[in-house]
Amino acid sequence: MADAPIRVTALTKRYPVRMGLGSVAALDSVSFELREGEIMGFLGPNGAGKTTAIKCVLGLLKPSSGRVRLWGLPPAHPSVRRRLGYVPESPDYDDAFTPLELLSLFARMRRLPGGRCDWLDLLARVGLSAWETTRIRKFSKGMRQRVSLALALQSRPSLLVLDEPTGGLDPLARSEFRSIILEESSSRGATVFLSSHLLSEVETICTRALILDHGSLVRQGSMRELLREENQWRLEFAGEAPASLAGRVSALPVTSTPDEAAGSGEYRELRTAGEDLQACIDELRSAGARITRVEPVYGRLEDVFLSATAGQREEEPERDQ
Amino acid sequence: MRTIRAFADMTMKMLLRRRTIYGISIVILLALLGISRVPSFDVGNEGRFILDFGMFGLEIGALLLAIGLAANLYPRDRESRVLLPLLAVPLSRAHYLLGRFAGAALVQMASLVAGCLGLVAVLAINGYAVPPALIPAALLLVVEGWFLLSVVFFFGFWTSPPLNAPLTVLLFIISQMSVREFVSLLPAASGAMKVIRLLLPHMDAFHIKDPIAHGETVPLLYFAVAAFYGLCYTAFILTVGLAVFRSRDLR
Amino acid sequence: MRPAGASFLRALSAALFLIACALPGDYDIEDVAPTSHLGEPCEHDHGHGELQEAGHEHHDDAERQESTQTGMHVHEAGQRNHGTEWFFNQPWASPFIWPKMLRDSLVLAALAAVIALVSRRLTRRA
Repeated sequence: MADAPIRVTALTKRYPVRMGLGSVAALDSVSFELREGEIMGFLGPNGAGKTTAIKCVLGLLKPSSGRVRLWGLPPAHPSVRRRLGYVPESPDYDDAFTPLELLSLFARMRRLPGGRCDWLDLLARVGLSAWETTRIRKFSKGMRQRVSLALALQSRPSLLVLDEPTGGLDPLARSEFRSIILEESSSRGATVFLSSHLLSEVETICTRALILDHGSLVRQGSMRELLREENQWRLEFAGEAPASLAGRVSALPVTSTPDEAAGSGEYRELRTAGEDLQACIDELRSAGARITRVEPVYGRLEDVFLSATAGQREEEPERDQ
Repeated sequence: MRTIRAFADMTMKMLLRRRTIYGISIVILLALLGISRVPSFDVGNEGRFILDFGMFGLEIGALLLAIGLAANLYPRDRESRVLLPLLAVPLSRAHYLLGRFAGAALVQMASLVAGCLGLVAVLAINGYAVPPALIPAALLLVVEGWFLLSVVFFFGFWTSPPLNAPLTVLLFIISQMSVREFVSLLPAASGAMKVIRLLLPHMDAFHIKDPIAHGETVPLLYFAVAAFYGLCYTAFILTVGLAVFRSRDLR
Repeated sequence: MRPAGASFLRALSAALFLIACALPGDYDIEDVAPTSHLGEPCEHDHGHGELQEAGHEHHDDAERQESTQTGMHVHEAGQRNHGTEWFFNQPWASPFIWPKMLRDSLVLAALAAVIALVSRRLTRRA
């Protein structure tokens, strides 16, 4: 299928309030698309509408308006479901079952080929090899989450939808989770849609990200595009900088690092806006400085996230209708 | 169909591993044993007494089993968020409802059959004959249990478990009343009361304990007609429940 | 609730209400039973004191004697017995109600099929 794994067009979801007399918008004309094989981060503060969007994508909620298509088909289409894996936020599978029983029962429900050996391998992959026949009631939250991941991976899905999959996990478990997700993407080419509050996690593994706030998409793009600070460039040079630059660069010097290996004395770096970049380079050169590096400035995802959601926090819109 | 069977299997295993079913079954068996110890008012007719009260106890047992097994299934699936991955990936809403219903219905049937066998054992131990009509009567009791189960599922999509139980009991009681009796509860709104009663099932169709206890012959044709009525009503309630479920957003 | 689903349920409720309003009779066996089922009505009161006073002229002496001894009275064949009519006014003993049960079963099955199809179509369209 040539269609995008997820294509969401002008998705709006309104929930009725006050006995159906009014409504509140959980999502307001959101549009985005996932490309085959990419890992898309889905960010937003609590109540931004991330879970609502995911439920619409999965066909669990019906959009008030707009369209959701997975490989060009509605989410409830059987051929779409066969290619889908979903890890919800902290699911609590019936604790009377063992992970092996759950995998066997889900395999029967999904009509998957494979048997006990395959499920044992899968449980080993998610770190539950010693626990396959232990009832889930004895499991910690992290172990339950691993069961959930095993169930999602069971059908070798083309699209993995993960809603806060690592919430409540310890750092080691989070790292293992990340490795599995990356492996799914790199070895099988699975597309991953990852909703998370852990910005460092998204920054590490995602190729693109969406930032949602108050039901609206406030930022989207590749990770490099998002992290690149607007119009800021970093210059690294060796030698003396002319005093005339002082007023036009944000820091002079920002840092200075001795480059002893090169034996060329002190290196300096400065930041400047894009329109001043050429003039800075010219002046540095005329002052006898040697330019060693010019690159755009990348920030942290946390800063991008905070700046993207700051405006919305300041002006709380009236969303009741 | 394979999907529904697999999910019903999962539901059955889940219900059998919970304690509710054993609690209710023990209560039913204790009640049956207790009946044989209660002195009958009608000397010489103790067997009739055991049959009459035993079958009444099993009918109440069917009601308790329906509530105990099913009232919490859907709400728990929602609360634990298990419903989301189930409906997002392997199951449609029809699969979910039918699988859960089939699993609960099989467990309920097994419990009621065990109850009937218990009743047979009590009769045999006390030296009374077991009427052959007890077999079709037990099957009709199972159909009645399934009907009550469908009602519990139906209310499950509308209400919380604490409300589900009284609503089901209320429907159970009202459905035993004749139209005339029901209208007499609120004569001022007789028209509305009549319509409400006509829409509700006629559960007196399942009443066969009196003739069996009194040795009357109930034609097999009647068992077939009553079972068909019960199954059709069960299908109707389940379908309306499914329509409601399909129209729900899983927030 | 989905708008299409909600309107469907409203339409369904209205249809069921109309169907119910249009139903000509009810299920009360006493109301719809033929005379052959109920037997001839018995005019007298059944108080024990009146049993011997008002008399049952139609009972023969032997019956009168027996009924007086046991504290019960006996009716002629085919005459309504008020004490046990509830027993025989149950569906299992009223074959005239069985076709009605069958008819209702078929109506319910047909309604179930229609509701299933319509709600499925609405879900797919959504």
